[in-house]
Amino acid sequence: MLIPILHRKRKAAEAAARALKDDVGGAIEQTRRIYGTRLLIRGLLWASVYLLSRGLLELTIPSTPLRVVMALLPTPFFIYYLWTWMKGVSEMDELQRRIELEALGFAFPAAVVFLMTIGLLDLAVTLNPDDWSLHHVWLMLPLVSYVGLFRAKRRYE
Amino acid sequence: MKNRLKVLRAERDWSQQDLADQLSVSRQTINAIETEKYDPSLPLALKMGRLFDQSVEEIFTLEEAARRRAN
Repeated sequence: MLIPILHRKRKAAEAAARALKDDVGGAIEQTRRIYGTRLLIRGLLWASVYLLSRGLLELTIPSTPLRVVMALLPTPFFIYYLWTWMKGVSEMDELQRRIELEALGFAFPAAVVFLMTIGLLDLAVTLNPDDWSLHHVWLMLPLVSYVGLFRAKRRYE
Repeated sequence: MKNRLKVLRAERDWSQQDLADQLSVSRQTINAIETEKYDPSLPLALKMGRLFDQSVEEIFTLEEAARRRAN
């Protein structure tokens, strides 16, 4: 008589514990999803302001101070994006943080090698500034960073 | 470094996600530890020991020590 009641109570307690665990897991997953979305939105915001700034600078505006303001316009948005990323890294668990570190460990030397090579080639043959000036070349650096992230992630999968 | 994490988890009928939630890490971290691609930090190893009620040495073994024991 007593045993089925105890058994039922234990089952109910196990179910409640499992539900609580699912809630915690769900909350972690939700945070991850929100964090990813937040980073994406801020990245898109920065990219939009950058493209706007590029577009405006292509126009023939004679005022130098105005052109400088336009050139500096994307910087706070990029800092905001980087701040979101750094905040996200500080909230990551130890393996995810290691992946980010290994990605940077690849990306930084790769970026140095890339810029050094471009610089030397520019001295050797004078590269076309329409293709190889700083405002084109910097776009390669985030790409190098993503390659680093891809390599590091694959290593631990 | 060898570990018995998968066995201990299976004994308790926990999924990788269950264990990850209890240790406040990602499922990817548990998977990387179980497949011996990643060695956890000391605080995480101690947390695991406490969760499974075992010492860290009972869960994790240096490969040389495991080999010595097998010979």
